[in-house]
Amino acid sequence: MTVGFYQHRESSVHRLNPLTKLTLAVAVVIAAFAVPLTWWPAALFLVVLVPAVLAARVPARFAALTVKFVGPLLVAVFLVQGLFFPGEGAELARLGPISVKAEGLAFAAQTATRLLVLIGAFLFLLLTTHPGVLMNAMVQRGLPPNISYVVSATLQIVPAFRERAQHILRAQQARGMATGGGLRRRIGVLLPLIGPLALGALTEVEERAVAMEARAFGATGRRTSLMPVPDTTAQRLARWGLAAFAAATIVANALGVFA
Amino acid sequence: MIELDDFSYAYPTGSRPALRSLRLAVPAGQLCGVVGPSGAGKSTFAHALAGFIPHALGGETAGRVVVGGRTVADTPLPDLVRDVGLVLQNPFNQISGVKFTVREELAFGLENLGVPQEEMVRRVDAVLAELRIEGLADRSPYQLSGGQQQLVALGSVLVMRPSVLVLDEPTSQLDPVGSGQVFDAVRALHRAGVTIVLVEHKLERLAEIADRVLVLRHGEVALDGPPATVLADPRLADWGVAGTRYTAAARLARERGLWPEDRDLPVTLDAAVAGFRAVTGGVESR
Amino acid sequence: MIRIDSLVYRYPTGVTALDGVSLRVEPGERVALIGRNGAGKTTLARHLNGILRPTAGSVHVDGWDTAEHTVAELAAKVGYLFQNPDEQLFARTVAEEVAFGPRNLGYPGDRRARLVRRALEDTRLTGLEEVHPYQLSLAERKRVALAAVLAMDTPILVLDEPTTGADHAGVRDVAAAVSELAGRGRTVLAVTHDMDFCAENFDRIVVLAGGRIVRDGSPDEVFRAGADLAQAGVEPPQLMRLSEALGWSRPATTVDAFVDRLASR
Ligand SMILES: Nc1ncnc2c1ncn2[C@@H]1O[C@H](COP(=O)(O)OP(=O)(O)OP(=O)(O)O)[C@@H](O)[C@H]1O
Ligand SMILES: Nc1ncnc2c1ncn2[C@@H]1O[C@H](COP(=O)(O)OP(=O)(O)OP(=O)(O)O)[C@@H](O)[C@H]1O
Ligand SMILES: [Mg+2]
Ligand SMILES: [Mg+2]
Repeated sequence: MTVGFYQHRESSVHRLNPLTKLTLAVAVVIAAFAVPLTWWPAALFLVVLVPAVLAARVPARFAALTVKFVGPLLVAVFLVQGLFFPGEGAELARLGPISVKAEGLAFAAQTATRLLVLIGAFLFLLLTTHPGVLMNAMVQRGLPPNISYVVSATLQIVPAFRERAQHILRAQQARGMATGGGLRRRIGVLLPLIGPLALGALTEVEERAVAMEARAFGATGRRTSLMPVPDTTAQRLARWGLAAFAAATIVANALGVFA
Repeated sequence: MIELDDFSYAYPTGSRPALRSLRLAVPAGQLCGVVGPSGAGKSTFAHALAGFIPHALGGETAGRVVVGGRTVADTPLPDLVRDVGLVLQNPFNQISGVKFTVREELAFGLENLGVPQEEMVRRVDAVLAELRIEGLADRSPYQLSGGQQQLVALGSVLVMRPSVLVLDEPTSQLDPVGSGQVFDAVRALHRAGVTIVLVEHKLERLAEIADRVLVLRHGEVALDGPPATVLADPRLADWGVAGTRYTAAARLARERGLWPEDRDLPVTLDAAVAGFRAVTGGVESR
Repeated sequence: MIRIDSLVYRYPTGVTALDGVSLRVEPGERVALIGRNGAGKTTLARHLNGILRPTAGSVHVDGWDTAEHTVAELAAKVGYLFQNPDEQLFARTVAEEVAFGPRNLGYPGDRRARLVRRALEDTRLTGLEEVHPYQLSLAERKRVALAAVLAMDTPILVLDEPTTGADHAGVRDVAAAVSELAGRGRTVLAVTHDMDFCAENFDRIVVLAGGRIVRDGSPDEVFRAGADLAQAGVEPPQLMRLSEALGWSRPATTVDAFVDRLASR
């Protein structure tokens, strides 16, 4: 298994308590979805996430992964919401049965930027936080270790599969299977991977569960930490502030402030 | 300390039982070697002692395994692992995957047990020094050679100081000098009173430290006794276990009339040196 | 034939695993690569089928520069046994696993069938064709991995710890395969920690230490290096230690040689 998307850097963001980053990510996502102003999610992305990612010195990886994950979603959102928006509104262009309305485009833009914030916020968390440290921090806060493990393991599933896929691919190439080339070829290559992947990953997970148990992972009672995750009063305050901010956006929306 | 009472086990997908009606007892403080051909059930046996059978692996069991007075099947795994440490055969699978450095990886079990931090640091440093892997302390546990990873996997269990230690081929990927260091460490634990079950193919080293050796074959105990007797047994080769070169040389010498019929075959270097000195009329002849 | 020139390899983490290795291995030669854990043996082995590419220097196999070919192309030249069988196996059954290589290499059906059958026989897996590899013990899985490589029938074989965990019969299988392959002019390079196996089955031993070759010669020459040897993490095989302890001037490396010498005293 790998350490997920994690990119090791010396940065103040990396040194933050993982819970602070987790709170930030969740708060930004809540705020993005709570406030129905079209420009709002984009603003959050530019004002909060982009500076955070720059401070963490992971902009290139962040950009690459964002494009990879958000790109296809963007296309889908614009096609569905932009072109087939069902509501009323001024028609900007028409092509047979398809009409492009300003409202549709605005709605699409909002949905797309919300997704951008959602994915961006979690990528920010994953890129700057070692899953083990996140797990440690959660255990230290008194979360049951099994739940903490599930959370941190879930965050690692994609990379674990990717890693396993790479192993298999390498083993197959070492026995003469050519890869690369056109799309059909690529799909052809992926097919033989699917079976072994699911199976191999399952066996691996099972063995690892045994290994974790062998190291008293399931033990109840107080836990200690070799490297306690540092926390500061400032961060604690910041977390409360973020929670309050997220709550405020929900309340404000409910009260019709943005209507 | 360890007792198997007519214990049998079959894997969920296995067509035949991997362990059959095992009856044996390992007293506290004994170092019991386990040898046998591939597929004999050595790893399965190790998993059963540590409670992974039946708790983690499913399948069907009959009879019981008792460790430290507790029936394994009735004791929750977390309670069991406080006393029984298991080092897996494939070290890669022992790495937790949630730690960033070898040092933290070694501490993982201690964190789970709630060992105080200063104590944890002391124990981790001691294991790093004992296995001579201080140089790897700050490396990622995944960016190591196979043998280095095996040392880390071993250390991660040693650091927990279990009173019963089950080691499944802990030196299979180690260089000769590293293997020697691990055998020294095992010997030290044995002297300190730890009960040890050691699955091993390096018979010439096992012979030097074991109190007793079991030969497993088709999930059954084919032979059980002191290493000097068991490891010199002529049937071992037929059962797929290679004896030491010392035994083989003495056996061939006996066939050619160069080794007296009534002299035991040696299983260790020391015994071989004494024996061949005697037969060549060297100083040690008695 | 293998030709390695001034090979340097640095992992992305900054560890220099190979630090100027040059080595030639001729067809029909059996070479064992030994050395301390972390000496760079696996890193070297992985260069031979292109899984790793030199940071500096070059690697040629059977006349091909590995830098100019894909791993899949190189598979026609080099069969590579992984140190960890679980990294190598992916198929649902033993038979599929073993047939995978020859199928990709495009061998005609009858040759393919023959190679697969032969490989299964040589590793005593006949009868286990339909078993899932994950239902086998670790040493049995290593045997499946070996069969998968043997079935490719390549001019060069690179075996990373082929006898790890193997029992008596397993070690004998590997020994027989190695000598049979060399007899047919194949180039065999095996990484191993088993000094007895290595002294009994290889003509030439290369000792790697800290990413450099520190010794290269016949078992007799290499194992008499004394203190140097321990520095490289290795020690002489059992019978050499015994003959040395007995004060023999010419130590024996095999059981037969040992007893012959004993008889001649
Ligand atoms: N997960 C599994 N499912 C089904 N059968 C299994 C499984 N693991 C092992 N077996 C079978 O159980 C038997 C004993 O396996 P085990 O791993 O205990 O052997 P071993 O003596 O440790 O061998 P080795 O020396 O190769 O490690 C073998 O026949 C094996 O095929
Ligand atoms: N994926 C990796 N990333 C970074 N460093 C690595 C990686 N794999 C191995 N190393 C390091 O490179 C060096 C050589 O490793 P290699 O695996 O080649 O050793 P080896 O001689 O095969 O050892 P062993 O006998 O233990 O298998 C070691 O210091 C090791 O820690
Ligand atoms: Mg086993
Ligand atoms: Mg290696």
